[in-house]
Amino acid sequence: MDDRNTLLKEIDQVSFYLDDLRLYLDTHPLEEKALDLYQQKHQKRQELLKEYAEKFEPLTCHCVDLTTNGSQASDTCCLGHKHWTWSDGPIPWETAANSCHISKGGV
Amino acid sequence: MWSYEKRLQFPVHITKTCPKTASLLMSQFGGPDGELSASMRYLSQRYTMPCKEVGGLLTDIGTEELAHLEIICAIVYQLTKNMNVDEAKACGFDAYYVDHTSALWPAAAAGVPFNACEFQSKGDAIADLMEDLAAEQKARTTYDNLIRIIDDPEVRNPLKFLRAREVVHFQRFGEAMEKIKDSLDAKNFYYFNPEFDKQFVKE
Repeated sequence: MDDRNTLLKEIDQVSFYLDDLRLYLDTHPLEEKALDLYQQKHQKRQELLKEYAEKFEPLTCHCVDLTTNGSQASDTCCLGHKHWTWSDGPIPWETAANSCHISKGGV
Repeated sequence: MWSYEKRLQFPVHITKTCPKTASLLMSQFGGPDGELSASMRYLSQRYTMPCKEVGGLLTDIGTEELAHLEIICAIVYQLTKNMNVDEAKACGFDAYYVDHTSALWPAAAAGVPFNACEFQSKGDAIADLMEDLAAEQKARTTYDNLIRIIDDPEVRNPLKFLRAREVVHFQRFGEAMEKIKDSLDAKNFYYFNPEFDKQFVKE
């Protein structure tokens, strides 16, 4: 579970980096530092999404790889069979899918 | 065209059932300054926006608001999925329970159903961006009010994230407004509709 949570947390962080940069670039389209950062973080995100799909399940439908039978570590009713892995894994709005940054209190 | 990503933009992990908190938070789903209004406002206004960069910004912010709507719905869902009837009655959640059980249905905190009249799509770039700037501030105020009322850190943390995003969106819409003004005659920014009275817009 730890590996899944660590990886998901990394994906959340790099994705948010891009969410924020995207809006910034919409109004600052020529800013070189932001363009370089976008390129760098985008590449990192692609790598992490691929790794997550291989180890667990796809987070986007573009990460579905039908040449595999899905991961042993993924929650699925079709384990060991060639199947539609897009339905594997936890539902995003359930607590189980969100234990990667369990809150440690806060103000 | 949109495609779904199976994760929340900010994680929601709530362990304590509380229909009272859910009924207050519901407003940021279907209330006057909620995320449903926000996403529909920007995604409706973008078609006629005369500057394509601003249309692009409306698309991206409108898309992020859909992710915020999902965060709010996940909070409401997790706060109510294990409630029993006694808890619903004690918290004043019983009226909602009668019609929707613990399903998600967009309404304001006081029970008024979601209504498209909560937002405008005027077809006037300056009027629409002014509305967007005000909307981000009103949503920020609503989050301020919710953060003051709610004690549970598991609920407060995602609300603080959402509040911070309202501030960023306000900043970006402010920059979009400057961009629109750059394409107008500085002597009469507010005198006509730059989307319709195109003869006044600079080449």
